Amino acid sequence: MNARWEFRLLRLWHAALAGGFLVAYVTADEDTYAMHVFSGYWVVGAVVLRLALALVGSAGGPLALPKPRLTWAKPGRNPLFAWMAAILVGGMAVAGVTGIAADVIPALEDLHEGLAEASLWLVLAHAAIIAWIFQGRRVREMLKGSTAALFAIALLTAPAAFAADAARDAIKAGYARQAGPGFAGFSPERGRALFESKNTASPDYASCTTCHTADPTADGRHAKTGRAIKPVAVSANPKRFTDAAKVEERFDRDCQTVLGRVCSATEKGDYIAYMESK
Amino acid sequence: MMKRIILAAAFSLSALPALADHVRPVTDPETLKACGECHMAFQPAFLPARSWTRMMGQLSDHFGDNAGMAPDKAERIRQVLVADAADTGGGKAGRKALRGIALSETPLRITETPRFIAKHERISEREWKRPEVMTRSNCVACHRGAETGSYEDE
Repeated sequence: MNARWEFRLLRLWHAALAGGFLVAYVTADEDTYAMHVFSGYWVVGAVVLRLALALVGSAGGPLALPKPRLTWAKPGRNPLFAWMAAILVGGMAVAGVTGIAADVIPALEDLHEGLAEASLWLVLAHAAIIAWIFQGRRVREMLKGSTAALFAIALLTAPAAFAADAARDAIKAGYARQAGPGFAGFSPERGRALFESKNTASPDYASCTTCHTADPTADGRHAKTGRAIKPVAVSANPKRFTDAAKVEERFDRDCQTVLGRVCSATEKGDYIAYMESK
Repeated sequence: MMKRIILAAAFSLSALPALADHVRPVTDPETLKACGECHMAFQPAFLPARSWTRMMGQLSDHFGDNAGMAPDKAERIRQVLVADAADTGGGKAGRKALRGIALSETPLRITETPRFIAKHERISEREWKRPEVMTRSNCVACHRGAETGSYEDE
């Protein structure tokens, strides 16, 4: 399964869990008990499904369940992701199971309600953290331009940005694997040096900057054909580095053209890391 | 409803004169993306099928640049181009483009075909040297509707 499909599955699963939890939460009253029971089983089913999906997904891919860690191996994923997933999914699983068990052991009812209540706060915190991690920069940019319409678009496209980030992470994870033993993380600084390096392999394309300009957030222009080139920096062009085949094709061509040789997996990851940092 | 139909018909009629210089553009998304990344996705009707086949077979040296891509992708795009080439599905524009090209010739540069040269005879060297033109293959610099297959005099 490729990363894009894995990610679609993950989003679908996320919707199922979030929807199930929401319905269970608002139908907790006696008069909507049947719906509450149904959605409770749904949530438990979703948690079980998540564990099964982790077995199906590729190692290090969107469906994998990474172990929560206290250290952040930059430029890797924020460790908060693994923590949020572990706490939220774990909390909801226990809340669901105790709800089912409370039918037999009434004493579990308090624990069930307490966990459900806590889970709601965790969900809200989760949403706030996600908004902070993914949209902080864009929200601040937006406030500079400060138009309500742009803000609304940002909110609507937040899930798309999330998908793009996951696809890019998967591509980098692939290069990290290819880099093999001794790999010590990608470096935006090395990526920058590569991007700005002046080379002698081609008289027409001495550097990446020949077409992309020295500012990766700016529009580029093909040095021979005059064709407009969209910015390489992820902040200016979120679709960059999200299609693995496309990324490989471009590195294949452009490394050969500009550097006169192929790029190593580490160099490719460094380049992406630099473009993410811009 | 009726009003809309009449309006749509009127718009369609107003577009008719443009058909005179119309060359069927590429619509296949993969082809559009692959070609259009570095230059305009030129209409296949400007070259005979044999030219497109040769071009798609030597992408690592694409007019001096490396345009290499996965072989299956190159083959899919070749088929799209060959289907609408000057001597296949290129229509009237294709028949015109073929004039002056001998069967033994396999031109690769559209800008070196007899039809292109004849049509651009009166363009002075100074025009070509304008900074936004850069190269003769930059159709859109002068023909604003080139991407959609409209090459009216401008």
